[in-house]
Amino acid sequence: MFGVFKGLGVTIRQLPKKKVTLMYPEVKPVWPERYRGIHEFIPELCIVCNQCARICPTDCISLSGTRDENKKLRIDTYDINFEICILCDLCTEVCPTESIRMTDQFELASYTRDSLYKDMKWLYQNHIEHGSYQALQAAKTEEEANAAREAQAANAEAASGAGQKASPEEANAARMPADETVSSSGKGGQPE
Amino acid sequence: MLNWQSSPLTGIGFLGMVIGGVLILGLILGIVTYLIYFERKIIGWMQLRIGPNRVGPFGLMQSIADVLKLLIKEDIVPENADRSLFLLAPIIAFVPSFMVLALIPFTATHVFTSNTQVGLLLYLALSSITILGIVLGGWASNNKYSLLGGMRSAAQMVSYEIPLGMSVIGVVLLTGSLNLNTIVVAQSRHIWYIIPQIVGFIIFMIAGLAELNRTPFDLPEAESELVAGYFTEYSGFRFAFFMLTEYVYVFALCALATTLFLGGWSGPFLPSWIWFAIKTSACIFFIFWVRATMPRIRGDQLMGFAWKVLIPVALANLIVTAGVALL
Amino acid sequence: MSTLRSEEMILNVGPQHPSTHGVFRLVVTIDGEEIVDADPVVGYLHRGTEKLAENLQYTQIIPYTDRLDYLASMINNYALVHAVEYALDLEIPERAEHLRIIVMELNRIASHLLFVGAYLLDLGAMSPFLYVFQERERIVQLFTEICGARLTYNYMRIGGVKWDAPPGWLQKVREFIPFMREKIRMYDDLISGNEIFLNRVKGTGVFTQEEAINHSLSGINLRSTGFNWDLRKNQPYGIYDRFDFDVVLGQKGDCFDRYWLHMLEMEQSLRIVEQAVEAIGDGLILGKVPKLIRVPAGEYYAGIEGARGELGVYIVSDGKDKPYRLKLRRPSFVNLQILRKLLIGQSMSNLIAILGAVDIVLGEVDG
Ligand code: SF4
Ligand code: SF4
Repeated sequence: MFGVFKGLGVTIRQLPKKKVTLMYPEVKPVWPERYRGIHEFIPELCIVCNQCARICPTDCISLSGTRDENKKLRIDTYDINFEICILCDLCTEVCPTESIRMTDQFELASYTRDSLYKDMKWLYQNHIEHGSYQALQAAKTEEEANAAREAQAANAEAASGAGQKASPEEANAARMPADETVSSSGKGGQPE
Repeated sequence: MLNWQSSPLTGIGFLGMVIGGVLILGLILGIVTYLIYFERKIIGWMQLRIGPNRVGPFGLMQSIADVLKLLIKEDIVPENADRSLFLLAPIIAFVPSFMVLALIPFTATHVFTSNTQVGLLLYLALSSITILGIVLGGWASNNKYSLLGGMRSAAQMVSYEIPLGMSVIGVVLLTGSLNLNTIVVAQSRHIWYIIPQIVGFIIFMIAGLAELNRTPFDLPEAESELVAGYFTEYSGFRFAFFMLTEYVYVFALCALATTLFLGGWSGPFLPSWIWFAIKTSACIFFIFWVRATMPRIRGDQLMGFAWKVLIPVALANLIVTAGVALL
Repeated sequence: MSTLRSEEMILNVGPQHPSTHGVFRLVVTIDGEEIVDADPVVGYLHRGTEKLAENLQYTQIIPYTDRLDYLASMINNYALVHAVEYALDLEIPERAEHLRIIVMELNRIASHLLFVGAYLLDLGAMSPFLYVFQERERIVQLFTEICGARLTYNYMRIGGVKWDAPPGWLQKVREFIPFMREKIRMYDDLISGNEIFLNRVKGTGVFTQEEAINHSLSGINLRSTGFNWDLRKNQPYGIYDRFDFDVVLGQKGDCFDRYWLHMLEMEQSLRIVEQAVEAIGDGLILGKVPKLIRVPAGEYYAGIEGARGELGVYIVSDGKDKPYRLKLRRPSFVNLQILRKLLIGQSMSNLIAILGAVDIVLGEVDG
């Protein structure tokens, strides 16, 4: 007969405990890093290798690309149909350039089926707003800064090698030619 | 004590009655609304949720919103239902639930209480009318689930009415009166009847839970088996009527338990109605607490429990009480 | 007294019914409250996984297995990759094996937890259902950290697993074990001793060992009759033979035994997780696998102990990168066969108690 009272004891003990409800629309859940949410797409990185579309088990990616004047493939359209996407992560797994990734967005509910058809623009927007855009941008500026610093160091070395003093005021000036070299060398690498 | 109950009926007296009736109706509606709110809150807290919290501050308007929603919904009558009975059933179930409240002495100055000499008997009699409404509702819906629910509740409520009635006879024996006021007064003079009548109180609460169709005796509306039991086909405000009936009875039964066993409105220092409210709330809390914990009992076990356990125990209790009262 | 004339009536329980755990339909013929006949109708959730698989590469099938028994996706993932690995005779790195065991056993706990909650909900107690979601949430969060999804994990890969455990993850698993042990005790207090519950489940839905075997039952349904059959022990796969755990057995084969075995198995799973977390070493998480996986022509069957019974994958390959035919032995579907026998002669309120204890997941029943 006492099992019943034991149970009553358990329930009453929960009464003052901290509640676990998440006030959802106001408070969003915090997802771990690997969370597989809606995709983001970074067109600059895509090499139109078509691997993502091929691996997709539900065939929900459709893409097309053209060769530009440099014989380099450029992505033209990239659509994911979120009606059938199962967020399985296989596309991001196979992508060699990480141009398709996943964000921590999960709110896909909408009133029409059409709006679940997300194109490249939307996916890129998702990248900027919710995706790894910030991180990528930070990494980019870091890289640039690193390059500049190296160039500066090289300049300074060259300057000291020539027996001239390098003042900190010249740092800015030293950076400009360095940038120029980088871009010109980039240009030089391309077939004219 | 106001004496409109014993004075001859005049125009003013009649007006007072009507106003009193309407007032208490409004009051009970308010109580029931917040009963539902507190049930959801308490059970929510016990389940580590926060319960209603969106409509109004702390979700206080939630029940009101729910009731409004039910009122503006379409009133659907199934095509094959027995129309007139279908429409009548909620009313039959609902009206007695409010009528019994006229018998409960809420305060020491029972302004709104009919000081009838057969209060307890009348309570039991009126509350059994509700069963009729439920059975009719289940039958008239012409739905298999409803029918099963209606049949179950008929069997259950009829069986449990007997131990319920027997458990209160002990109190009547001790007091020598069926008048609820007298019972409270007697308790305030001597001792709460929960102490001499602890067995009676336990039986009363168990049978009461069964009468209310609440967990662990909620077979008639066993959601996981019968969808919603006898009111499966009801919608809109007719559904609201059934809901309301249920919760008014929760309140009424707890009020009756308070009156019979916990000394009613009597108590030191505080005004009588506060005492009454505290005791009733404790009973109600207990009912919600049980609901948060218990699984549902099975039909045949339910019957067996009533006939094989509750009734013999109630009878034994009765005999002992009678013996004691005789001495 | 002349016998009362009574009429039989046909009641459609489901496909949309609160207690059929999805879209399962049961056509019961009842006489009063007694069940005269019961006819399960399945297929409302049929997605044709087996047929779809014929047009998919083996890696692509993995996300589809997530959707079978959606309460134990990790185990489903494993069933498929295990069958392919068995066919290819692949070597799996140690760390991957351990990670697999950890996630699978955690998933088994999550699945059993949900059984306990849902079963009690069927029986009318609603709190356990909400309590179990807390513990399950911890497990699900662990899974989200390791593979990024909460329900459809797609974590296993042929030859290993997709992700390594993130930093601190194993520690979190370690912390989870005592927490879970305490919670199991709480459920014992809340449920296992409750007389109302015991009265309802003890002695209901009984079947004998022989019947269980004749109906090809497996998993807890079989073990509840006292038959010692657990593929983790009897046909050890992966590295299960290295761990010390018991196969818990019932005695009577009633609903209570089935409930109780779920509780006991959770503890055994915790033991396995505990050992695996201690034994795990560093290393690769993905073995050497060809880029395009082609299963050599032939027929292969590999069965594992799923959360609900023997989960078997039968591959017929013609040497291509896609299976010629993939047959899944889905334990829920097989276990369902005994339902009719169990139900006949019972009362309506036992229906839910029996159906719940057989523990079906509709995704798995309908494939
Ligand atoms: S997540 Fe899976 S289903 Fe969705 S687009 Fe990528 S590969 Fe296709
Ligand atoms: S796999 Fe990556 S790089 Fe290749 S087409 Fe898809 S998005 Fe572009």
